[in-house]
This record gives sequence, C-alpha cells and structure tokens, in this order.
Amino acid sequence: MIARLLIRIVALAAMAYLVLPLVVIIGASLTETSYLAFPPQGLTLKWFGVLFDDPSYVSAFITSTLLALAATGVAVLLAVPASLALARYVFAGRAAAASLLMSPLVLPYVVLGAALLQFGTDFGLARSFEALLVGHVVIVMPFVLRSVLPLLTPEQRALEEASMDLGGTPLATFFLVVLPQIRGGIVSGALLAFISSWINVELSIFNTTSALNTIPVKMFNYVQYTIDPTIAAVSAITIVAAALVIILLDLLIGLDMLSERQQP
Amino acid sequence: MIAPRTTLALLLFAPLAFFAAFFLAPMAVVALASFTTDEGGLTFAHYARILLDQYHWDVLWVTFRIALATTALCLLIGFPLAWYLVRIVRWRSWRRACVILIVVPLFTSNIVRSFGWMVLLGRTGLVNQGLMGMGLTERPIRFLGTETGILIGMVYILMPFVVLSVGNALAKIDTALEDASADLGVGPARTFWFVTLPLCLPGAVSGAIMVFALAVSAYVTPALLSGGQITVFSMLIFQQYSSVFDFHYGGALSVTLLVLTLVLVTLAGRVGERGRRAA
Repeated sequence: MIARLLIRIVALAAMAYLVLPLVVIIGASLTETSYLAFPPQGLTLKWFGVLFDDPSYVSAFITSTLLALAATGVAVLLAVPASLALARYVFAGRAAAASLLMSPLVLPYVVLGAALLQFGTDFGLARSFEALLVGHVVIVMPFVLRSVLPLLTPEQRALEEASMDLGGTPLATFFLVVLPQIRGGIVSGALLAFISSWINVELSIFNTTSALNTIPVKMFNYVQYTIDPTIAAVSAITIVAAALVIILLDLLIGLDMLSERQQP
Repeated sequence: MIAPRTTLALLLFAPLAFFAAFFLAPMAVVALASFTTDEGGLTFAHYARILLDQYHWDVLWVTFRIALATTALCLLIGFPLAWYLVRIVRWRSWRRACVILIVVPLFTSNIVRSFGWMVLLGRTGLVNQGLMGMGLTERPIRFLGTETGILIGMVYILMPFVVLSVGNALAKIDTALEDASADLGVGPARTFWFVTLPLCLPGAVSGAIMVFALAVSAYVTPALLSGGQITVFSMLIFQQYSSVFDFHYGGALSVTLLVLTLVLVTLAGRVGERGRRAA
C-alpha cells in the first residue's frame, strides 16, 4: 500500500514536471508587461499581434511550413515504394538497405547537418531551401517507413494477389487495393514526419540564413540573446499546434497505447 | 507481366539513390575531410588533436556524465509514471489525458521546452520563488549555467520516451503470470523483482538507449541552459562548422561523436537482447 502511494506521488509529481513549462510559456505569452512575467500581469493577445506584424516571423512560419510539407511529401513518395520492396522481396542486401533507411533515427542530427553544409558547399547547394529539404527528407523518412511496414502483412498480400489473379494491372492493384490498406500508416507516419521537420533545429541551423530561416532556428538564435513575451507567443503557438495535431492523431489512430490488453 | 527483379529495382531505386546522394555522400565527405589536410594529403593529425588533448576528454566526460545521469533519472522517474498509468489509473479518460500530456512536449521543439525552463529556473523564476517561499533556501539558487540546470531540462525533454516504451511493455505483460507467482506464495516484492521487472526490461532498455543516444548528441538544450558556462561535445562540432570553418577538424569531431554513439547504441542493444532472451 505504501509502495502504491509512493508511486502515485512520484507519478503525479512527474506529470506536473512535464506540464509546468508549457503552462508557464502559454501564461507568459499573455502578459501585458513588456518583460516576461509569470503569473502574467493582466491578459492580452497583443504579443501575437506583434508577431504577425513582423515580416521576418511571417516568412519564417511560411518557410517552416513549406519545408515540412515538401519534406513529408517527398518522404512519403520514397518510403511507400521502399517499404513495399522491403516487405515483399527477399534479396541480397535487404537487411543493409533497411538499416540504411532507418539509420537517421539514431544518428546525431548535428553531424548530418554539418555534413550537408560541407557537402553542399562543394556543389553550390549550401544554405538554400533545397539543402534544407534534402536533409529533412532524410531524417523524416524513417517515421513513414516505420508506420507503413507493419501494415504490409501476409493477409494484406493475399488480397493483393487476388486482385492480380483477377486481371488487375499492377498499377490498378496498387491504387485500388494496396493504398487503401496502408492509408492509416501513411497518414500517421506523415504526421510524425511533418512534426519532426517542423520542430527541427539541429539539422536546419547549418543551412539557414537570416533571409531563409525556419521558426525553430529563428527562435533559437533569438532566445540566446533576449527573452521577451514575443518569443513566448511564438512558443505558445507551436505548443497549441502540437496539441491540436496530437488530438487529431488520437482521434485518428487512438493514442491510448498504455491500456492493459484484454485477455481473450 | 513485369519480372520481379525489375519491379524490385523500380521500387528501390529512388529511395536508395536519394539516401546515397544526400546521406551517404555527405557523410563520406565529412569522413574524408577528417583524414585529409587542406592540400589533400592523408593525415591523422585531426584525430590526434582530439585524442591527445585533455580538453576534449574533459568535454567528452561532461557530455557522457550528463547523458548517463539523464538516462538514469529518466528511468527512475519514468518507470513509476508508466506503472501508475498502466496499473493504477482505472479511469480511462484520465489515462488518455495523461498520455496526450506526455506526448505534447515530444511534439514541441526543444527550443520551446528549454525556453520554458530558462524562465522557470531564472533567479526570480517560479522554482526559486517556490523554494524561497517554502523556506528551503534563503538566496536564489543558481540553476542556469550549471549541470543541474542542463539535467533538469534534458530529463524533462527525454522522459516521455521512457514512459512510452516502459508503459507499452508493462501493458503487454500477461497478468496471469504475476497471479501465478502470487498463488505460489511469492510476496509482491519478489514477484515484481523476478517476474514483472524482467518482462518489461526490453522496453526499459530500448527507451534508455533512445534517451542516451539523444542525450549524447543533444545540442539545443545544453546550449540554452548552459548559458555558455558548460561545453558539451555537439557544441564543439557546431563551433567548427558555424564560426571557425575548419571542416577537417570539425569532420574529425563529427566522426568521433558518430562512432561513440553507434558503439554505445550497439552495445546497449546487445545487453537488451540478452535480457530479452533471458526473460
């Protein structure tokens, strides 16, 4: 009983620890003072207005969103055929190909970012949208692979073969049979990919400039020198956006992965 | 009818070509630069500069000390939280809300999360106000620019990984095994130690590996919470590529971090694999 109580106390303290910084940021973004205050003094949305009047923030928002969308799109286009190949075929180098495509998950992003800058400098690709894009595609592709691969099961395969036996062309089979079956995995993988691109600093920071900047990198450079309610407002927007995406994911695929499985 | 080989080649060509061009090639360029001089001659001088200099060993030690402490604390706090969510909470909606609250930070940038702690841990921040209000300290404690401050931020950022992977493993355990142990007259503590813990060890190990790998290569959180007082390894790499522009030395630093991370991740994976087989 005492152990149970102790676990309860630690767990609730841990939850408070996880939530506190987010609450503080959202609270601080609403203060009327020109310095950061928590609890906020007075309530105002003026810092959000300041943000949207600043063209550099607006353009960073646009760059981040376009980058995340493009990276997710390219990653899906590459990951879906790759997962079909990895799930369906036995070939020499299959394990190597799989670990190559998954390896960005455990690689230090700082190293990859530095590598892309150096490599890009040799080819005139450095510090451009394209340089950011290829790096982001590399780091987000594993998320799509990881959520599509488990869906390509033998049962799924059987339906695909049935379609082919009935005279369906490979393309028709893919679009009418396979795609609907793996759509859930593509959507959840794409959402994870989008988010990881949207919040990335370590990779982007090498290839951004003051004219071509993403939101997280801009915030990073700003926070090192000044802390004010504007930066709290940007942060608050990203927190609310993340919460919305997660609630969407929860409704879509259900995030309650911690419920004990019912014994049959 | 298209031959299977052709289909396979069609499916794999684009993804592999993309990874070769924008992942393997850049990495190869870095590795190559780390072994060459400006004139293109072969040299090990950049590695010698790292390995023979006490300063680099100090930075490595700080980096690994922070990463190890982060991993240990994440397990220590994350395990009870996972246990609470899986075994103690009976109200589904509350568990669902908790899972969402644990995942939201994961989907928020490191900057935002570290920034939250910059505000909280400042001289007049909420943490110091609280500590002084409770009479635990008379003067504000300095957190920013200390290892404690970095640790608070890193544990905060990485704990959700442990909670999710341990929680997943706990939820999959067939409770009949624990009941059987209890029926055989084994006390709850021994049942936990000999039945439950080994069963969720693989989840804990994979969570810990993830946390450790991310902690060793973390850049943003230490950069923001160290206030320039403490240097971790990734900061050295960043300096070389952003202000010093020594790609040879920077390359050697990158390769060092990469090799160390991969070796440790592989080792930990082996240990986890053995644990899984023993379980």
